[in-house]
Amino acid sequence: MKRGSAKTLEKEKGSEKIIALTVNGEDHLVPVEDRDTLLDVLRNRLSLTGAKEGCGTGECGSCTVLVDGKPVLACLTLAVGAVGKEITTIEGIAASGKLSPLQKAFIDHGAVQCGFCSSGMILSATALLSDNAKPSRQDIQKALEGNLCRCTGYNKIIEAIESVKDKK
Amino acid sequence: MMETIIGKRVPRIDGPAKVTGEAKYTVDIQMPGMLCAKILRSPFPHARILNIDTTKASRIPGVKAVITGRDAWGVCHGFVETPRYPADQYVLANDRVRYIGEEVAAVAAVDEDTAMEALNAIDVSYEELPAVFDLFEAMKPGAPEIHPVEIPDLIGDFRNIGGQCANSYGDIEAAFSRAYLVRKDRFEPELRTHCYLEPQATVAHYDAAGILHVWTSGMGTFRKRMHLSRTLNIPASRVHVHKSWVGGAFGGKIDLFSHEFCTSLLSMKTGKPVRYSAEREEIFSYFRHSQNMIVDLETAVDREGILLGQRVRCYNDCGAYRGSGVVLIFTTWGYLVLPYRMPALDYIGYSVYTNNPVRAPQRGHAAPKIRFAGETQMDMIASDLGIDPLTIRLRNARRPGETLPNGDNIRKAGLIECILQAAEKTDFARKYEENRALQKAATHIKRGIGMGASGYFTGTLIYPNNSAAMVKFNDDGTVHLLTGALDIGQGAETILAQIVAQELGLGMEDIQVVSGDTDATPVDIGSWISGLTLVTGNAVKKAAEDARRVLLASASEALQAAPEDLEVRSRRVFVKGTDRSISFAQAVSRHIRDNDGDPIVGRGYSRALKEAEFGPSLKNAKGTWSESYAFDAQIAEVEVDTRTGQIRITKAFTAHDCGFPINPLLVEGQIDGQASMAAGQAAAEEITVKEGVTLNPSFLDYKLPTAHEMVEAQYIDVITEAYEKDREFVTKEVGEGYVSGILGAISNAVANATGKWSTKLPIKIMPGKEEEE
Ligand code: FES
Ligand code: FES
Repeated sequence: MKRGSAKTLEKEKGSEKIIALTVNGEDHLVPVEDRDTLLDVLRNRLSLTGAKEGCGTGECGSCTVLVDGKPVLACLTLAVGAVGKEITTIEGIAASGKLSPLQKAFIDHGAVQCGFCSSGMILSATALLSDNAKPSRQDIQKALEGNLCRCTGYNKIIEAIESVKDKK
Repeated sequence: MMETIIGKRVPRIDGPAKVTGEAKYTVDIQMPGMLCAKILRSPFPHARILNIDTTKASRIPGVKAVITGRDAWGVCHGFVETPRYPADQYVLANDRVRYIGEEVAAVAAVDEDTAMEALNAIDVSYEELPAVFDLFEAMKPGAPEIHPVEIPDLIGDFRNIGGQCANSYGDIEAAFSRAYLVRKDRFEPELRTHCYLEPQATVAHYDAAGILHVWTSGMGTFRKRMHLSRTLNIPASRVHVHKSWVGGAFGGKIDLFSHEFCTSLLSMKTGKPVRYSAEREEIFSYFRHSQNMIVDLETAVDREGILLGQRVRCYNDCGAYRGSGVVLIFTTWGYLVLPYRMPALDYIGYSVYTNNPVRAPQRGHAAPKIRFAGETQMDMIASDLGIDPLTIRLRNARRPGETLPNGDNIRKAGLIECILQAAEKTDFARKYEENRALQKAATHIKRGIGMGASGYFTGTLIYPNNSAAMVKFNDDGTVHLLTGALDIGQGAETILAQIVAQELGLGMEDIQVVSGDTDATPVDIGSWISGLTLVTGNAVKKAAEDARRVLLASASEALQAAPEDLEVRSRRVFVKGTDRSISFAQAVSRHIRDNDGDPIVGRGYSRALKEAEFGPSLKNAKGTWSESYAFDAQIAEVEVDTRTGQIRITKAFTAHDCGFPINPLLVEGQIDGQASMAAGQAAAEEITVKEGVTLNPSFLDYKLPTAHEMVEAQYIDVITEAYEKDREFVTKEVGEGYVSGILGAISNAVANATGKWSTKLPIKIMPGKEEEE
């Protein structure tokens, strides 16, 4: 949601256009401006507030969503650039009302405290596990390096991911 | 036998909402017609405000309200508001600003762009005043005056003293004259900050009936309500602070913040819902960091390393307003005398105004700073005397039943046990000697192990001084727990529900928790003085017992058995030793039928320090502080790369006396988080402020630990208390005390690896030179 000063806004403000976004398997037509981030559109236009804005500058990972299965920072992604791609947010992970094994492991292993990082963590880990069913601890740490958590010290998050990996 | 759920690793009840994105934090609240609020801040560290012209801003289409200090003339608030320390901070600057970032005006507009445009259109004329940023400069008699304050009992000829806490006892002169060794060191832990992941945010909606609804990212709704009602000058009953999910706080969200006042006032002016959400850079630059402090520690010991006395001077730079500084200089005293016997003391803590941003408590408040100093110096003394770190601690550690200088008794303190177990489980003595022998070895990777110990209070008296709870039976035999407690991530709702489950023989799924809502729930102390489990927990226990008593009375008639002969389990009341039973649902409906429609509602309440009228004195540390103290001994293992200066904390071991853990899974989570925070502070984290400007306002530049810096954590519980039927239980806090011991342990481990002590945090090893700064 970073905005420049009012003077540069004039120029930035583009005209709105309608784009089609595929989010959690559903198509949406949404009015956006060129400068709108995917995060703003998900949160403000589609009310998918599971993706969080911890920094808005690409440093915390709380805005992580999957685009064509790969984790991206929605705060640094323009909405117009996501047209034609499959976007998955945390709301799409337990879509049928049933928690994924990873979501369940996060709860059972105490990997969730305040929960503000959880959406991003779970999506980063989901992407990791779909690429690599048996990641090493280093692989997990690498996959999570862009997702900050201040509450847990990461211990139980890594434990939760390892518990799911072991079941595969 | 009743099944026990206390002490079980019960998964948290808010887990599903948090892993699915369903949990609504303040920033997620959306309302039709909601306006966006923005705040204009001072660009100067110290200036007089000559004029604020808002005409242009107000005329911009889409701008709905603009407020300035004129809308809040003379309206002040403070973390502490007492006759000695009256509120000193304006909710919006009046005629003067005292730090860069101080709030000068606020706007509400239809969208963010318009709000930004309005901010730029506000014309403020300032007259700059001389500013001072260094606390020792600020104390000098000729320094610019930041506030016209006078401390009547001020010791020394100093300026800008916002607060002073002085406490002496014992024969300090005699202690020093008979000392075998005296060490004097200055410790300088640098400024650290909370880094809660959820930015500060507030939504306010003043409705047509004149009720102000507020959602805010805080640490206790009742305390926020008190501050809002006072500063907005409306009755507390007309301020409804709703529960909001909180994305971490660590002390940084307890005070009233200007944006909470402004958002509320803007909604009152417009009649529309208004949202303010801080940007991360704003938080790093202008919101409250932890309190910082410089510690001069002069310690006298005998030949055996037994502490004889200490002369201690602490200097806290509280920034432009007192914030929690005046509490910090009291709690510093507390954590100084808590873990070890100290026969004589001469203590003065000063809290000093500067033109830096204001500071708040951060997890542990003073404890990490003073224990870093105390634990490091303890090892220095041990080394000077040729004693090992374990022995010197055992010689000085407080034993069960000892009385603190303020008269508090530490009862069943498990400190000695913690030290012994931590040393044994980590093979401390052997590793310590081994690493020491390798200090001079030719390898650039050095290993170290270090020990630190600490104690922490569990709840005290500060508004709101009490907690109450209600347990309501539903027709189907399940219950609703009504508690004012706010879950800020620590798991408050889960442990309170466990207590209800235990008392009523219910499953966790049978309990719904309604929490943290000032209209719907009874009062609560909040999640900030480490007393929630003890104070609110006992209130909840009593409420559940009360509900059980009524339920059993009803069942006893139905079952033709005395209440003492009944027991509860699986939502049924049984006659003990038989399978004669009725369901809770039947007992409830029977009670309603036989008592003119009266449903079963249990009530309970509790407060810390039941005997005391007030909390401890911030002026001289006299008076009772807490009735339950937690203790810990922690051991850190590190690897230091002397070529790069990198410090890696490889292991953190915690032996702790938390009374007894209600939920070990949650306790471990608290310890992990604290070990991580301490590791960050010891090795990397640091806020750099120059002339009132934060130079590294981002997660990356602040060097917040990432998954790569995960510290392997191990724990051992030293159990000193128990949860019993029909009795108040004693728990000890677990959310704040474990930053400190481990911080001291890391500092000592680095010294064990390198042979050099660091008196600063973060610890800096000069690459290549194999020594710290
Ligand atoms: S909000 Fe996108 S990385 Fe922080
Ligand atoms: S659980 Fe709070 S930031 Fe990760």
